[in-house]
Amino acid sequence: MRNRYVRVRVRVLVVGALAVVAAACGSSKSTNASSGGPTTAAAGGAVTTAAAAASGATGKAITLAINPWTGSAVDANVAKVVLESKLGTTVNLVEIDENAAWPGLDDGSIDANLEIWPSGHAKDKTTYIDEKKTVEDIGLLGPNAKIGWYVPSFVADADPKLKTWEAFKDPAEAKKFATAESGDQGQFLMGDPSYVSYDQDIINNLKLPLKYVVAGSEAALITAIQQAEKDKKPLLLQFWQPHWLHSKVKLTEIKLPDVTPACDASAAAKDGKYACDYPVDHLYKAASVKLATKNAKAYAFLKKFQLTTEQQNEIAGLADGDAKSAATAAKTWVDKNPDIVKAWIG
Amino acid sequence: MSTATLPTSRATTGPTSAASTARPRWHRFVEPAIVIAAIAVIGMVVGHAPPTWLDAHVKPEVDRLYSWIVHHRQSSVLFTGFFNPLGTALRSLTSATLWVLRALRWPGVLTLVGLVGHRTGGRQAAIVGVATMAGCGVLGLWDHAMISLALMIVSVLVALLVGVPLGIWAGLNDRADRVLRSFLDAAQVLPAFVYLLPAVVLVGIGFPAAVIATAIFAVAPAVRLTAHGLRSVPVVANEVGSSFGCTRRQLLAKVQLPLARRAILLGLNQVIMMAFGIVVIASLIGTGGLGNDVLNGMQKVDVGRAFTAGLAIVLAAIALDRITTGSRAVASVTPRQPRTSAVQRALSAKPWRALAAAIVIAVAAVIGKVTNTREFPSALRINPSRSINDVVRWINDHFRHGVPVVGGTGSFSDFLVIHLLTPLRESFQHAPWWLVIAVIVAIAWVSGGRKLATICTACLVGIAALRVWNLAMDTLSQVLVAVVLAVVIAVPIGVLAGRSDRVERLLRPLLDVAQVMPPFVYLVPVIFLFNVGRVPGVIASVIYAVPPGVRLTSLGLRQVPTGPREAAVSFGATDRQELIKVQLPLALRSVMLGINQTLIMVLSMVVVAGLVGAEALGLETVFGLTKSEIGRGVAGGLAIVLLAIVLDRITQAWGAEKPGQRVTRERP
Repeated sequence: MRNRYVRVRVRVLVVGALAVVAAACGSSKSTNASSGGPTTAAAGGAVTTAAAAASGATGKAITLAINPWTGSAVDANVAKVVLESKLGTTVNLVEIDENAAWPGLDDGSIDANLEIWPSGHAKDKTTYIDEKKTVEDIGLLGPNAKIGWYVPSFVADADPKLKTWEAFKDPAEAKKFATAESGDQGQFLMGDPSYVSYDQDIINNLKLPLKYVVAGSEAALITAIQQAEKDKKPLLLQFWQPHWLHSKVKLTEIKLPDVTPACDASAAAKDGKYACDYPVDHLYKAASVKLATKNAKAYAFLKKFQLTTEQQNEIAGLADGDAKSAATAAKTWVDKNPDIVKAWIG
Repeated sequence: MSTATLPTSRATTGPTSAASTARPRWHRFVEPAIVIAAIAVIGMVVGHAPPTWLDAHVKPEVDRLYSWIVHHRQSSVLFTGFFNPLGTALRSLTSATLWVLRALRWPGVLTLVGLVGHRTGGRQAAIVGVATMAGCGVLGLWDHAMISLALMIVSVLVALLVGVPLGIWAGLNDRADRVLRSFLDAAQVLPAFVYLLPAVVLVGIGFPAAVIATAIFAVAPAVRLTAHGLRSVPVVANEVGSSFGCTRRQLLAKVQLPLARRAILLGLNQVIMMAFGIVVIASLIGTGGLGNDVLNGMQKVDVGRAFTAGLAIVLAAIALDRITTGSRAVASVTPRQPRTSAVQRALSAKPWRALAAAIVIAVAAVIGKVTNTREFPSALRINPSRSINDVVRWINDHFRHGVPVVGGTGSFSDFLVIHLLTPLRESFQHAPWWLVIAVIVAIAWVSGGRKLATICTACLVGIAALRVWNLAMDTLSQVLVAVVLAVVIAVPIGVLAGRSDRVERLLRPLLDVAQVMPPFVYLVPVIFLFNVGRVPGVIASVIYAVPPGVRLTSLGLRQVPTGPREAAVSFGATDRQELIKVQLPLALRSVMLGINQTLIMVLSMVVVAGLVGAEALGLETVFGLTKSEIGRGVAGGLAIVLLAIVLDRITQAWGAEKPGQRVTRERP
């Protein structure tokens, strides 16, 4: 009985395998069709080599990370278009969490990540760039980012006092921002816990009657903004530029005390005495140290590659702020701007 | 405080053994009373909050270990000799699977699904399998579905390869069962965020790490239900086998495993469902596929897009589930009738049939190749995002405020926060820590005796030693509220489903959807309806935890032997009496397992709840991935596990001592 099963099983397997092979050998082109899509996932070596061979590439195929925001998708897609059309290097894009990308850079399964927000990755920089030296800082990307305190503009317009932080010292003003979670105090909402946050320190040190509430994710934060906008209810939150939401909802940044050297020092020391506005973040690019030998042309290009905030916004606008259509937008933009591209590869 | 628990303890019968009934009733309370008094005295001495010397140094130690791994992952022989090859093997296996799925194209895959479904579950399974799988293509997500499917197939295989043998071991050996159960609890409740980044540094980004994470997450039901199946084999069957001279191996192969088949298949079903539950989180580490679409949708707060991708995940999961378990086998109302298993049927195929099948698949694949479409033709595609967004908007507009009488979800949320969640949290956090331990240990002692009390003490002190006591109390308050809400919803529905085939048939797809639909999909609407804070987390946990409660309640009622029911009816019991006096008591074990699973599900949602404003332990755990503070994440995750063990064991004890099992065992 058992023997029969085994024999039949073998036959089924063999026949199945034959069928698969038969199906696959029609056209080898089919397997690399994925590289045309905007977001090819890490689909394995077979796809990579097939695609490289098909396009007659000179350098080895490389992998770029896309972190989960539009700007990152714009950078990676523009680089991909240039690398593939001008430098004959096939590019795989991997959508990956910004933190998980570091081990990928470390072992070379990701060749470069083109948009790193330094404030969130001081520790990764120390580990991989300074100590282990497996990842290399390949220069600034161009755009600067700025975190700050925001209220929906209708709140600030109705009560212009609220445009500066001093207004929140008044418990009556702060209480306008109270919710069930914050009780008698005003609620200060923070989004994704991975983003840098001195808010609790700022609240303590400026002695503001606010309760720090963590929404837990960017999506939760944005939902809360949309909800406040819809109900015309006051909301105080941490937010940042650049972000696609600014084109949909009007937000006003609150003026916090200017950044002082003392604040820089306490931020570095993490002593809990921070009481200023957020400093400006200079976004940078990082590459695996293996890239320079693996594909020197691509490495040289990525080192030179830079976008201004305006360019990034323009391309994001072409893509309608949508990471999925970033590929087409990147192609359109590259075709329209041959001079800029020439400077990168020249 | 112990006096307050005494009346309830008298009401429950406690672990009545023949020896203890001989002694006076009060005798049983002497020992616990002394121990609890001791806890109180020690507690009062060390103070209101856990003392600073009670510190297991988990965070710094884990951080040091992680740092060692990061610095040695290219040089140590542990990696070059084991983890790196393992990673490569898993990557190749998954890539090969994906290559096959892509080479077959959608016509080929659909044909394959149909044929396998037909073999395992007949025409119905074939139709359901093909229809659901085709749904992914109709939604315009075929290729992403194939990426996720490849990941799932490999992960489920790995989970079964590990899980079923462990389950057999646990089913035959009591000690193995006890040891494994603790690990399973841990695996099922330990948030994936804790081991996601370690998996990445061990085996590499993308598929390998995702397979490991998925298998860890999904292995529990395979072990649990295999063991459960072996243990529910009637004693009579074993005795008959033995008396006819079966060896232990024959007994296992010819009697126990075939009789446990239903449970094992349910295990496979649960493994698949759970594995699909992690698709979204897996995409955080670079697997791509449907999970990415959900995340993208969520990041843009585009519910329609997230929901569409979530729907594709559900459809793929149902397709895989239907064709592997075979709907005939699982949904059959009379379970004891022997049938060949799905796998056996597939293998007993006549060779010419297999050949014919292969040819059909190949032809379909070639047709797919000729039309040269990776996705479905656009004429066959629909994009429901916009309509879903409209529906969600309508719900948001109409349910949040101004619903007559109840007021709307917004005010319900505020009510829950102000009158339930906050007072409960305050009382847990403001009470001296030893008092909380004393009360929980008293409850444990009454429910399960000295041993359970010891386990609970150890776990609770462990939470304190992880230095997260206050966060744990916050989480405990939220979990209790969510579990009560979920049980109140799940048990009645389960009873209905257990007594009516029609309700069961109607519910099954809904339960599948609720269980597999990634919570990320409904988080955004839930936040919008219930305001950022603890309530969205509670609601999302309830949505996620109700299905297993319903399923196991229903299964319990259905497994009640017909004998006692017929006896009750012949003695003139009404329908209601039959339910309350016969079915429910006999199904109690299963119902308690259901409540227990509900609890586990709620605990496994603690992290997701942290993503929508629940803070507490969930948020602490998220730090492990997002801020790369692995130590902090591990401490938070372990605390969730310890809390889970306490709550899990206490609820299990409630189920175990009830007469249900005894009656079935005494059945002639």
